[in-house]
Amino acid sequence: MVLDLVVVPPETSDLGSQRCRLGLVLMEDLGLRLGSPVLVTLQGGASCLCTAWPRPDLAEAYLQVDPTCSSAQLRPDALRGLRLGSEGLRALNCPRVKRLRVTALVRSGEFKRRTSAQEVGALAAELLTGLYVHEKHLVDISHAGTPIHSLQVDTVNSGSHKAGRVTPETRVDVVSVRTLETYQRWERKGSSVPLGGLEEVYVTLKEMLTLPLRYPISTRRVGVTAGRGALLVGPPGVGKTQLVRSVAQDVQAALVTVSGPVVVGSRPGESEENLRAAFTRASEAAREEPCVLFIDEIDALCPKRSSSTGTPENRLVAQLLTLMDGVGSDEGFVIIGATNRPDALDPALRRPGRFDREIVVGVPTLQQRYQVLQCVCRSVPLSPNVDLYSIAEKTSGYVGADLSALSREAVLHAILHSTQGGAGDSGQSEVEEGDVRMEHFVKAMRMIAPSCLRSSVGVAEFTPVNWERIGGLEEVKLKLRQSVEWPMKFPEAFVRLGVCRARGVLLYGPPGCAKTTLVKAAASSSHCSFLCVSGAELYSPYVGDSEKALAQLFQQARACSPSIVFLDEIDSLVGCRGDGGGCRGSSVQAQVLSVLLNELDGVGFKTTERRGTGLSERQETRRDQRMQLQEVCNQDVMIVAATNRPDMLDSALLRPGRFDHIIYVPPPDLQARLAILKLHTEKMPLNSNVCLEDLATRTNLFSGADLENLCKEAALLALHEEGMSVSTVQQKHFQKVLQHFQPSISSQQLLQLQQLFKHNYN
Amino acid sequence: MSQPAVLKLHQELRKCFQNIKENQTVWRGVLDECSSLVSSLGNLAEQLRALKRTEIEKTPLGTFPNLPELLQYKLLNAIDTVLNQLREKVNAFGSVRDSVIKHVCAVFKMYEQNSDSLPISTCVARCALSPSISDMLEWLQDTERYYRIQYMQRKNLLQILKPDDLTLLESAPKRWLSLASPDGEERISDALCQVSFFLESD
Repeated sequence: MVLDLVVVPPETSDLGSQRCRLGLVLMEDLGLRLGSPVLVTLQGGASCLCTAWPRPDLAEAYLQVDPTCSSAQLRPDALRGLRLGSEGLRALNCPRVKRLRVTALVRSGEFKRRTSAQEVGALAAELLTGLYVHEKHLVDISHAGTPIHSLQVDTVNSGSHKAGRVTPETRVDVVSVRTLETYQRWERKGSSVPLGGLEEVYVTLKEMLTLPLRYPISTRRVGVTAGRGALLVGPPGVGKTQLVRSVAQDVQAALVTVSGPVVVGSRPGESEENLRAAFTRASEAAREEPCVLFIDEIDALCPKRSSSTGTPENRLVAQLLTLMDGVGSDEGFVIIGATNRPDALDPALRRPGRFDREIVVGVPTLQQRYQVLQCVCRSVPLSPNVDLYSIAEKTSGYVGADLSALSREAVLHAILHSTQGGAGDSGQSEVEEGDVRMEHFVKAMRMIAPSCLRSSVGVAEFTPVNWERIGGLEEVKLKLRQSVEWPMKFPEAFVRLGVCRARGVLLYGPPGCAKTTLVKAAASSSHCSFLCVSGAELYSPYVGDSEKALAQLFQQARACSPSIVFLDEIDSLVGCRGDGGGCRGSSVQAQVLSVLLNELDGVGFKTTERRGTGLSERQETRRDQRMQLQEVCNQDVMIVAATNRPDMLDSALLRPGRFDHIIYVPPPDLQARLAILKLHTEKMPLNSNVCLEDLATRTNLFSGADLENLCKEAALLALHEEGMSVSTVQQKHFQKVLQHFQPSISSQQLLQLQQLFKHNYN
Repeated sequence: MSQPAVLKLHQELRKCFQNIKENQTVWRGVLDECSSLVSSLGNLAEQLRALKRTEIEKTPLGTFPNLPELLQYKLLNAIDTVLNQLREKVNAFGSVRDSVIKHVCAVFKMYEQNSDSLPISTCVARCALSPSISDMLEWLQDTERYYRIQYMQRKNLLQILKPDDLTLLESAPKRWLSLASPDGEERISDALCQVSFFLESD
């Protein structure tokens, strides 16, 4: 007979008595006597060992359980309002226990330090006498008011029995004494988030934490106190906080977190007090086990001291410095700070002895992105057409947070898709419902922009342009492809031949000959980040502002490499030094030029911009190799500039190593003009008498823009002459327009351009 | 109906409750004696603290040689004496506990031996004169647990009291009082009241 029992809370008088109140019939069914042990098992596998007693009112169908001896996963609130089948109850044969091994969980670390294991054992034996215990259960004896909160039973009778009754003759061995806090933290361990692509930093941090613990004697003999502090530097969202959490969890260290803004209080001296309290907490915890004091957003706590910042801030910084110095003496804990603005920190903080190591966590590289994606999508049901590798390739500049947002967005799209009658298209029926497909990721990618490009100057959004949309210019296209697309597509070949990617490409030619469109096509064919700058964004009335903006632009471009920086009308942007232009001298333009020269071919860049270093020791597959090669090939920023006044440019810009390729974009020749005309009249209903070849021959020196305009004008003329209901554009319209039309390029201008770079480039 | 087993168990239960009744009076008596000792312990601790604070050299008593040392010696001696007396009292608690445990164990042993002839329906049968066997066993178990925990707590408190830890000594009376559990005492008294007819119906 299976009875459905309602679990009700136990009486207060029964607390700590280990009683479980049952109905009489059930007790007889189970063959239970008064006070005989019964094991109550809940659905989740949690169990509780009790002694059976009848209810005072002898009612059936109710169950009251006192969870004194229960498995660790049993939460007190799990018993509330539960319904339990009577099959969850089982009579248990409990012999007397001769020997018991327990772990004692004490309330305070102070008691643990002061009391010997024997004393704890004697106390535990007294507390346990008369109770029934079960292997791996937690016996809660907090009601007795002793310093011992509970006892975890490790083995009963050296493992020969599962459960038993403790008598005064039982020998209780306390294996270890731990504080309750530690125990609870270890129990919570399951919630760790896997991290992808941070292995190197992870290993460094872990080594710092475990070295003094694992080899205490050798470290003491060598007389080094291993690094006690580390500063994590990196842009927001790369996983600094997450990293520290997971390392602390991995080495089972206590984690005391201090966040800058929380510490700061309103009263004078309050902030310092909070800070001291945090350090005390950490050293308190460090007596039990390894401990990490984690200061998040440390730049808020420790800004540069100067006369402009107030005295309170300076005092706080001084307090932090003295506290950090004090740490080394009592050999306590490791301090880890995290910031995304290392330059805002007080320099005194960044010396060995305080923060010994500075660990740069950069924007993830291609390989790291792939690993992050693998981690992020671990629990997502992916459809087989999803290629994480190609997603990683397309998401240059995305940090960990962006990638996890991306996967979340993709999942949301998938859910939306399946609820909005996605089942309707029967063609996809073999794909399992609710799977996340590639198109969901593509959609999500449009929604989530990389966070390091937010608030950046010169982020451009444009409609992708195909190479085919540009008529003619085959040679120029090939050149551009060589320098932009090839390093992405054939990294092996580039590495094999020892060629590196072109640093910069300068396009010059008469106006209106599709220079800008060419760059657009190049950017859309390779999945680079694309930044473009114009004079309006760069120039500002403040001295030094333009230079800073340009430097920042390059910094961001490097963070999201591979990337293309496009400088349109570069002649007006940077100009030329020296006597050439006349009024240049020390103007802003000259300074911007010097910044540009530095960024193009400078000594190096700041350490904080460092990205994944070295090669991770993973199993090398062909694909991994390819990814590494691609990484090597494409870690730089490529600069593409366009101008129609190449003679105005500074000669320093034009040397190889800066602009490697200087490409002349000529006005379209006959074939190209035909192609352009075809493109522009594609959507235009043309009369059969229109001869595009004839038009092409008659439009010598016309640029692409001219030709586009020609087609437009012809169509407008047709509308004007024949009325709004005209169906086709005729040859005569084209001819009429041509009569009034002057090409925008003069042959003299062309000659000048062609001769300019004749000596070095043909 | 296995009457002989019930009767035998009833007999044993009577004996046990009788014993608890006696022990309860003993326990209360010892507790009363303790309260004065504990308060004098707190008092002595306070005196010791006062002695440490005052500078006797600056008072008229400064002429007496070695006065602070002598006073401290005297006070420490007094504390020792009181602690020893308290220890004796706690030992008395221990004997009460042991006696209760012994009797309760005997009852449970008898029940376990005869449990085959004592079905649960018999155990829960109550009548006007006697509570059910299950109720009585439960009370016995509660009483035993109460005495055991009380004894342990008081012994523990006494163990951590050291003459050199003044703050602990000062807080001792308060702690001692907080250990008292009127609920537990009341429950024992209740149980004894409920079995009073049963005890008389010999």
